[in-house]
Amino acid sequence: MDDDAAAVALDTPPLYRLRGVERHYMKGASEVAAVSGVDLDIASGGFVCIEGPSGSGKSTLLQLLGALDTPTAGTIQMEDQELGSAGDHVLTEIRSKRIGFVFQHFNLIPTLSAVENVALAMAPHHGSRAEGDERAKELLIRVGLGHRLDHLPSRLSGGEQQRVAIARALANRPDVIVADEPTGNLDSESAAEVLSLLVELQQRDGVTVIVATHDPEVAQLASRRISLRDGAVVEDSSHQSPQHAPRHVKAGEGALVEDDSHQSPQRASSAKHVEEASDRNPSADGQPTG
Amino acid sequence: MRYVRHELWRRWSRTLVTALGLAAGVGLVMGIVGVSNGLSNAQNKVLSPLSSVGTDIVVERTVGVASTSSSTSTTTTTTAPGGFGGGRAGGGGGGGFFGAASGSTSQNASDEAALANNNSSVLTDLSKLGAPGTQFTYDFFVTGTLITFPQAAVADVAKIKGVQTAVPALSLQALHESGTVPTITDTVTTGGQTITKAVAPPPLTAAQEDAVRACLQASGAFGTTTTTAPGSTTATTAPAGAGGTRGSGGGGGFGGAAFGAAFTKCLPASYQQYEAQVVVPEQTITRVLNPPTTNTETKSYTVAGVDPKNSSSGLITKAQLVSGTWFTSAPADEILVSTAYASTNSIKVGQTLTIDKTNYKVVGLVNPTLTGDVSDIYFDLATLQSNATQANRINEVLVKVGKSADVNTVAAAIKKELPGATVLTSKQLAGQVTGSLSNAKKLASDLGVALGFIILAAALLIAALLTMSSIAKRVREIGTLRAIGWSRSRVVGQIMTEMLGIGIIGAALGVLVGLGVCLAVNTFGPTLAYSTTGVVVGASSASGLVHAAAAASSVGKTVKLHTSISALTVIGAAVIAILGGLVAGLAGAWRAARLSPVSALRDLG
Repeated sequence: MDDDAAAVALDTPPLYRLRGVERHYMKGASEVAAVSGVDLDIASGGFVCIEGPSGSGKSTLLQLLGALDTPTAGTIQMEDQELGSAGDHVLTEIRSKRIGFVFQHFNLIPTLSAVENVALAMAPHHGSRAEGDERAKELLIRVGLGHRLDHLPSRLSGGEQQRVAIARALANRPDVIVADEPTGNLDSESAAEVLSLLVELQQRDGVTVIVATHDPEVAQLASRRISLRDGAVVEDSSHQSPQHAPRHVKAGEGALVEDDSHQSPQRASSAKHVEEASDRNPSADGQPTG
Repeated sequence: MRYVRHELWRRWSRTLVTALGLAAGVGLVMGIVGVSNGLSNAQNKVLSPLSSVGTDIVVERTVGVASTSSSTSTTTTTTAPGGFGGGRAGGGGGGGFFGAASGSTSQNASDEAALANNNSSVLTDLSKLGAPGTQFTYDFFVTGTLITFPQAAVADVAKIKGVQTAVPALSLQALHESGTVPTITDTVTTGGQTITKAVAPPPLTAAQEDAVRACLQASGAFGTTTTTAPGSTTATTAPAGAGGTRGSGGGGGFGGAAFGAAFTKCLPASYQQYEAQVVVPEQTITRVLNPPTTNTETKSYTVAGVDPKNSSSGLITKAQLVSGTWFTSAPADEILVSTAYASTNSIKVGQTLTIDKTNYKVVGLVNPTLTGDVSDIYFDLATLQSNATQANRINEVLVKVGKSADVNTVAAAIKKELPGATVLTSKQLAGQVTGSLSNAKKLASDLGVALGFIILAAALLIAALLTMSSIAKRVREIGTLRAIGWSRSRVVGQIMTEMLGIGIIGAALGVLVGLGVCLAVNTFGPTLAYSTTGVVVGASSASGLVHAAAAASSVGKTVKLHTSISALTVIGAAVIAILGGLVAGLAGAWRAARLSPVSALRDLG
């Protein structure tokens, strides 16, 4: 699987290609650059971790990658689609079909049950409500919430809520899951569950996972770590770390189950990702600090 | 849709508050509409008698003071001769008025003369009612303020182009007097006394003295000649002293009794009888007492004569019959009684009423009406004319016009044809409805519209603000929807659908509130007073002229305010509530549509 993914990655353009991306905000009278001069290629199928202290611009970068926002300058190429200059309709379409966004605060609709929250993401697409509910149930069972289908978010634990959110992100079979501090609001046990879920998605389903985080646990799992400081990439390293890929998921293949053994041994299967990253993203490597 | 339902259901308090805001607005507007309609209905109800009988124009004659007051007050003095002329002309026509059109002032003068003439029959000599002590019951009919005119006027009006029907009517004020004929004379006997009086007769003249002397001498009262009576010289030298003479006579007492008899015989006639007795002849004087004291009771009521053959137009119509029947073909001894009069006097159909010593059968009860036809009892016109000694005279012509557009034209034509007539159109009659009813109606129509708009605007504003605030609280939620792939239009649609739902709930509640308001008004609502002026018999001060006891029957009436809500109002209110929800929704949707998906990452709170 990893090999296949790598092969695909070699033959096809990267999932994301960012060139000279700037994102400025007006803060009072002065203009603040949240992201500045970012050049980045992100291949399909990886587990990318974006690190950096608060205010480093990682959330802004994540919003750009999640097509929630558009850059002030520069281009963001998502395969054949340029996002930087795309209109709201196109971005909406991309968010709906290709990207699953996971939030730190889960962002479930409080008035809707777990199933309804997941089905909500399928609402823009054709298909009956019954079909939507059916798929929502399948997804919830996959994330281990088969017994919580009709619960309102307020009656779910943080970890459960985040798993509902991940199920919602998966609803439209996205190419990439973009997660902003997905474990930031969770206790360590719930965080581990959520992380293993994300890892499994990446490894088993080939979904690219991009996570912005402070959490070193998350960073260790990543196949690639991109560090930001003051809106610029300061470090971009592919992991040779032996722990970066949680192998245990393999054992539970076919059913993502709650699994607290995420620290289990790892595989060094991301060599090609590293290679790819360094080949295709030389500018990221050479990004000067500051 | 499910999302909408859950949103509305699980955020029920917000839903309810917003819906209640709309409901309150719509409900109050419904209440205002209901009250306004109710007032309209009340006004129509007040005027409907006139419209229901199909009378467009009423021709009558009142003392034209009101219409010419200013010119009258300034010109009365200078045109007084003209006034007299008019008066004479009116009198010549037996109070008829159509020939007396020589200017408003003279018209007024003749009007007043005619009115006095018409009302004169009530000045009755009680002595003609029968022997003192007998019970009497009389009904007098007077015209009140409406002067009569010849019935021929009906034909004149009927001839006017555009007139469909012209029906005569005689509206009179009736005074029902009953009591005992008072003792109105008493007898005084005078004379029969004897009167004694002392008389001092005048002294004897010289001639009378001589005559007496001669008489005495001749009668031989003196026995000797004068030589034997020296005193006789004295007598001759004092001719003026009668006493002396008598004294001499007394002195001649020696003449004896024969002298006394001779003396008496010889005095003048006026001395022989100087005392007299006067006996005044005895006589009886019968004198009229003024004023007589009686136990007479007076009740006043109103009567009208209508044409029994015209059952579809006129003062009263068959349509206004509440119970019983219309006049039969022999209407002379039949009457119709107004329900109001019947209820206060416990009169029932089939009962016999005695009016002016004649028995009348109550054949039917009719609904009391207001303008121009407030009479308590309706007679056959001819019967009333004869009872009221108003043969062939009427005081109202009720005109029905073929086309309603012609009313003013026809009214003008009637005025021209019958100078001096008061021509009232139903519209003018409507204008005469005054009092709280018309005030409230005006208030409801003027203020109500403004109030309605203000309340609606407030309700919309509240709903819009609540929606905006709800959107503000849902920024993250809406951002999330956008982030998971919802388009702007879908978000807008979502919010609009939610507000549509709120609008529908608001509509339902609003209709309930509105009906509640109307019910409350109906239950606790005010009673409206209204009065009509100028056209009602006995309403003016002229009735005071007629009889102090005949107090003018009040024409001020009341009508209960009853709100009216039509299905259309309910539908309109519902539509307004729903539209209000959508307008408020638009405000929220506009806000939501501008939210960036990035809002989903906004910090809580």
